[in-house]
Amino acid sequence: MTVAPSTPMERLPEKPVSRSREIWQTLIANRLAVAGLVVLALLVLMAVLAEVIAPFGINDIDIPNRLTGPSMSHWFGTDDLGRDVLSRVIIASRVSLQVGFIAVGFALAFGVPIGLVAGYYRGKTDSILMRLMDILFSFPAILLAIAILAVLGPGIRNAMVAIGLVYTPIFARITRGSVIVVSEEVYIRAARSLGARDGRIIFRHILPNVLAPIIVQTTLSLAFAILSEAALSFLGLGVQPPNPAWGRMLAEGRNFFQQAPWMGIFPGVAILVTVMSFNFVGDGLRDALDPKQKSVIESRGQSV
Amino acid sequence: MSQFLTKRILQMLVALLGVSIVVFALIHLVPGDPVRVALGTRFDQDLYDMLRERSGLDRPFIEQYFAWLGNALTGDLGLSFRNSQPVTSLVLERLPATITLAFAALFVAIVVALPAGIISAVRSGKPLDYAVSAASQVGISMPDFWAGVMYILLFALTLRWLPSSGYVSFLESPIEWLRHLVLPAITIGLISGSVITRFVRSAVLEALNQDYVRTARAKGLSEWRIIRRHVLPNAWIPIVTVVGLQLGFLMGGLVVVEVIFAWPGLGRLALTAVKDRDFTLLQGAVLYIAFMFLTINLIVDLIYVRLDPRVRVS
Amino acid sequence: MTRSAIRPKWVLMLLAIALVAAACGDDDAETTTTAAAAGTTTVTTAGDDGDTATTAAPATTAAAAEPMVLVAAQGSEPDTLDPHLTSAYASFQVLENVYDTLVQPGDDLSMEPALAESWTISADNLTWTFVLRQGVKFHNGREFVADDVVFSFERIIAEGLNGWRFGSVESVTAVDDYTVDVTLTVPSPNLLVSVAGFKGMAIVAKETVEDGTIATNPVGTGPFRFVSQSPDGGIVLEANSDFWRAGEGLPILDGIRFVQIPDAGTKLTALRTGEVDWIDAVPPQDVDGLSSEAGITVGRVPGGDYHYFALNQNRPPFNDVRVRRAIATAINRTEIAEAAQFGAATANQTAIPASNGSWHLDYAPYQSADIAGAQALLDDAGVADLSIDFLVTSDFPETVTQAQVIAAQLAPLGITVNIVDVDFGTWLDMEGNGEFDAFMLSWIGNIDPDDFYYAQHHTGEWANFQGYSNPDVDALLDAARVETDSAARKALYDQAAAMIVDDASYIYLYNPDNINAWSDAVGGYATRGDNAIRFVGTFLQP
Repeated sequence: MTVAPSTPMERLPEKPVSRSREIWQTLIANRLAVAGLVVLALLVLMAVLAEVIAPFGINDIDIPNRLTGPSMSHWFGTDDLGRDVLSRVIIASRVSLQVGFIAVGFALAFGVPIGLVAGYYRGKTDSILMRLMDILFSFPAILLAIAILAVLGPGIRNAMVAIGLVYTPIFARITRGSVIVVSEEVYIRAARSLGARDGRIIFRHILPNVLAPIIVQTTLSLAFAILSEAALSFLGLGVQPPNPAWGRMLAEGRNFFQQAPWMGIFPGVAILVTVMSFNFVGDGLRDALDPKQKSVIESRGQSV
Repeated sequence: MSQFLTKRILQMLVALLGVSIVVFALIHLVPGDPVRVALGTRFDQDLYDMLRERSGLDRPFIEQYFAWLGNALTGDLGLSFRNSQPVTSLVLERLPATITLAFAALFVAIVVALPAGIISAVRSGKPLDYAVSAASQVGISMPDFWAGVMYILLFALTLRWLPSSGYVSFLESPIEWLRHLVLPAITIGLISGSVITRFVRSAVLEALNQDYVRTARAKGLSEWRIIRRHVLPNAWIPIVTVVGLQLGFLMGGLVVVEVIFAWPGLGRLALTAVKDRDFTLLQGAVLYIAFMFLTINLIVDLIYVRLDPRVRVS
Repeated sequence: MTRSAIRPKWVLMLLAIALVAAACGDDDAETTTTAAAAGTTTVTTAGDDGDTATTAAPATTAAAAEPMVLVAAQGSEPDTLDPHLTSAYASFQVLENVYDTLVQPGDDLSMEPALAESWTISADNLTWTFVLRQGVKFHNGREFVADDVVFSFERIIAEGLNGWRFGSVESVTAVDDYTVDVTLTVPSPNLLVSVAGFKGMAIVAKETVEDGTIATNPVGTGPFRFVSQSPDGGIVLEANSDFWRAGEGLPILDGIRFVQIPDAGTKLTALRTGEVDWIDAVPPQDVDGLSSEAGITVGRVPGGDYHYFALNQNRPPFNDVRVRRAIATAINRTEIAEAAQFGAATANQTAIPASNGSWHLDYAPYQSADIAGAQALLDDAGVADLSIDFLVTSDFPETVTQAQVIAAQLAPLGITVNIVDVDFGTWLDMEGNGEFDAFMLSWIGNIDPDDFYYAQHHTGEWANFQGYSNPDVDALLDAARVETDSAARKALYDQAAAMIVDDASYIYLYNPDNINAWSDAVGGYATRGDNAIRFVGTFLQP
């Protein structure tokens, strides 16, 4: 995505290259964002090398050693079938990260443009698009999921589509809400009256100014998408056992909350770490993308 | 304004019609049918055929839909396939529990999220901000079923302060009503609250960076006064949007929380309807959910207009 | 439309007022809660000493003559209360106490008199004459007569889910008000079990069918009378003072309240805190811990259910008996039972458990976890790189657990098990359409061997989804059905069972224990081998 400065009155458009470099520099100046990036990179690396790193297989059943706590041989303990929780958490990262990124990416790719168009044009377009979104959002996600299973067939890819579809109306609503406000700003009106093309106004002037709630929603949805994979797994839509996914591991761990809390805690921590690092990157990205915000941070920095 | 309302209500009716068509189509796409599920493992072809015929399931799909629609337009949502009860009454008897939990959870969420989000934004980049941020991310990453089980074990089993499960109507005993409500409301409220906190923080932060705030600062206004007078009024729209979304989502019933706390809400009813492939019941439940959702959206749009005079009613 | 800039403030103020008001209201309420919570803590402590009745219904407990109401927690919701149209165990838990059958399984599961005091069989074994108990009243006050039996049986045959149990019945006639003749087309030694083995064969009041109230307001002749059902109050029953065993002082409880707690962990917590007195099942992993817990009794008896899986014999290579036998010999049933049931089960290579003394066959031809033997069979069949689409359902989570264990046990043979985990509605559809290489489930509520074998293994029968066909087995099952001599009948079933096991039509795994748990305050209740939940004679100790 190429990003343009949002307030034409303040800055003249510079070359996109230098602008992206500027964003990148702002981003890496933010220590938390860097930490988040590093952790995310490590997570992706872990997912890619999962089979190599994992000390045990995903279905190495060992009933006599079931439900044993963390130890030297099993750092994260064992589950109800005596399987190594650490190995399962590592291998689950592959599916869970995919579900998180692809499902949310799907929702972003469809929800944000719908919200932009609806909020910018208002009127009939808005009514039709938003009522369509309402219809979609009215369904119990579970029914939508089963229907998708029926139409597309089971499998993890379809689970991602299902989750993405469920989140699309949320992105549309949130984007639209902010677009409505931003569209009334002086500079947008000015751009309109100067005869700028709609596409240009939407993508160059409005989008950068509505990114904040979208980024927040993205990081939130990531967590929920990873968790809702568990619900879909139970319907045969998600990853099938014995293949692990963090959400499903947590759900299974619930039944052994008292006997073996580690069954749920470790996949839970994995989700938390992912969400947190993604949040840090998201916050940093938002700061870097928003010229107004940056100037305030700078001015504050000077005043300290 | 009244013209606007009329238009929106008409749109709502069209949307509800759309919902009913999609539900009908979906339930027929899904494998399994209500008779098959009712028979369970004891399958008998003759009985299967007879029951299908009796319930009209053997008729063409379109015909079934219009038969249903005809009745629905007269206010009759039909009978549940599984127990021959009127769908309307099955949905209505679950409503008090669902609405109670939705508002209680939203209340918890707002009480937590507004102060937390504002403080977090005002102290942006300071330890307090990080603390709130970390707490809200734990709240988001913690699934409802995990949190619910933890609260039950702590507050019901170990401390014996609150009941583990069930629902008591307010009319029967207000105190028991509240005691049964606390744990499920907190379970879902803290999660919703974590979501809303993120939006409040972001919206307030955005508003804090506007020129007029800098001007106000320059004028030497107190920080609290700036927030109250200049920041919050400009931060409401995204907050109202997300609160509306959360309420819409809560009004649809919360399957997992309802299961864990044995809460007799709509979520479980809709789940049962899906499992039993009981499409009349499902239609009823989904139509109600859609109606609630559309109404909330309408209210949110009206609030937009109130909050920001520049936003015109279209 | 434009608005003045004042408006946002106005909205804000309203919001603020609303919030403050709500917050204040809640503060008040919160204070009350704390008080109430403290009060309850005391009561609950009393509950620990055995006073469960007090804790059970704190809202309704008045000081004086306290009714003895048992609170029973069910793991799922009854779908309908019409005994002839439900297949839900949750419904039968309730209806067991509301309805009667002609005869009923006693404590040892042999059939004993209920609404019929006695019965005789004609010399040709084709007419059974039931002599009905006189003076029995339905809960609506009307007397029970032979016409009710005829009506109920005809309804079951015409539209009930269990009409198939009347397969050999030609007619049901009322000879007089207290005599019913059941005429058969062929001798049916298991007729009693067929027509009265469980409450799906209940005798109902005709008027409740005609006015359509049977689904929501069941009227039976049983020890408890239905009072109400609501999402918050559960299902309430009260003692039937006119019960036909009232002379013995039965029932003893004043009432029962069935509450539905779908989460197994929460249900267990509710028992531990004294919110409920009895629960219908205990998560297997909690059975051991719970048994040693003070204040709680765990009832555990070997059950008649069996868990199994079946390979699709309509699909190669599973039509080859060697492949099926290879799988049957490679698995370790003890490990599977231990994994899924934490020891609360007995591994079995046949269907009928040892606890069913009259029909059990001690037959175990397969080695356990015999990988070499299994490999030899596969090699002999010329099968390698086998892949199995294994159909299970999360609605019965033990099937998912078991499939994973089986996948691990078959891995050394190079067999890939692809677990297909779907919801039960889809599962039934896929099973019915034959869309599986293997499926796994359990059969419950079996008493007579005909329940165990006929529908599942006879060629073309309705439950034979695996496509098994062995003319010898068909002949044996047909003969056993009409054999009136018990010893001869047992011999026929033993032969059939051995063939079914040898052919691996079903690969049997284990018989699970039936488990209920209740507070020590509950007396006069016992977990039963047929999993029927009977609260007649149960009491609560103060």
